[in-house]
Amino acid sequence: MLGLPASSGFGANPLPLAQSASYIPPALLFVLAVVAAIGLILLLPGRMEGPLRKIGAIVLLAAGLVFAALVAKTAGGMDVYFWVFAAIAVLGAVRVITHSKPVYSALYFVLTVMATAGLFVLMWAEFMAAALILIYAGAILVTYVFVIMLAAEAQPETVAGPGGAMHEQLAEHDAISREPIIASAVGFALLGIILFVIFDKATPLQQRADVAPTPATTQPTGFVPRGGTQQLGNYLFNKQLINLELAGLILTVAMVGAIVIARKRVVIPGRDTARETTAAGETVLGPATPVDDNPHSIPVYGTDNPRQKEYPET
Amino acid sequence: MTQLALQHYLAVGAIMFVIGMIGFMTRRNLIVIFLCTELMFQGVAINLIAFGRFWHGLEGQAFVIFVLVIAAAEASLALGLVVLLFRQKNTLDADAWRELKG
Repeated sequence: MLGLPASSGFGANPLPLAQSASYIPPALLFVLAVVAAIGLILLLPGRMEGPLRKIGAIVLLAAGLVFAALVAKTAGGMDVYFWVFAAIAVLGAVRVITHSKPVYSALYFVLTVMATAGLFVLMWAEFMAAALILIYAGAILVTYVFVIMLAAEAQPETVAGPGGAMHEQLAEHDAISREPIIASAVGFALLGIILFVIFDKATPLQQRADVAPTPATTQPTGFVPRGGTQQLGNYLFNKQLINLELAGLILTVAMVGAIVIARKRVVIPGRDTARETTAAGETVLGPATPVDDNPHSIPVYGTDNPRQKEYPET
Repeated sequence: MTQLALQHYLAVGAIMFVIGMIGFMTRRNLIVIFLCTELMFQGVAINLIAFGRFWHGLEGQAFVIFVLVIAAAEASLALGLVVLLFRQKNTLDADAWRELKG
């Protein structure tokens, strides 16, 4: 199926549905989910350290391998690229949520994004793969890393760990996760049900699997799109034009909103707040002047809310 | 049957979604919490593209484009909020905002 591209450019055959022989016993699936949940609970950052986390990683890895072997045995799919990309994506995702340092989580998320883009390429969605890498790994993750560095908390002091090794003391909210047992139970119960539905109850879709491909003659004249990217662009700008414009509008609004939310308060010299009281007793907002002589600083008026704390001096 | 089927991709998407969900519930760092929502977006995107491939249409990819747009908008707004919250309490701990519980 993943051989040479067909002349139409949008890949060869559609993805088939696995035959009804691809039946994984539900009990086995749920047992695997429970084992994986135990492994993940041990692996999540918590008070238990050292060997227990390694045991959790091994248990989780074993459960994943058994599940992969089950899928490969019953549903087929001997495509080495798929298995490599899927393994990288899932392992990277596990590391994102189990690594106790946010910067490493972000970097493992980049790894997951790359592997997901590989899966997209396997599904003949090469434009989406490129867009995913550009937008996620290029734009969103850079923003995340910037915020992680900007929001650097108090300098972590290095303490002597067991065995005399010096290691950084993590912040308490990074080192200890919240309710790992309940969260893992809920999550893996959901995962077991989803996988049960996917591998056992998906057969009714099969009757409609032989739907005709999208007819190539929807465009009456002139331009005939060739290749998946051209077809996608043609589809987007002919059938989804209003949605595309709305997407651009959402991005613009989000940009303006992010600037408004994250702007910094400028304290006016000589006054605590920007409010002034007139002779008539009413309070008006006085003109705010930037304290740093930077014409691009946005003046922000103070608030009278006593619960709001002052920003730290920077 | 040795070729890839729809179920393979759906399984990967489901696993990534659930991992993101567990991370969203367990982690306490605000930035990592939002990273976990991005993980869930990835799982859903894999599902959408697999179904688009399954029906041999372009709707799945178009949906993923809009998912990416919403993810970008969400990331910018959420990170702006994170910066704002960090300036208020000088910590990234989500539990520092316990008084917000209703």
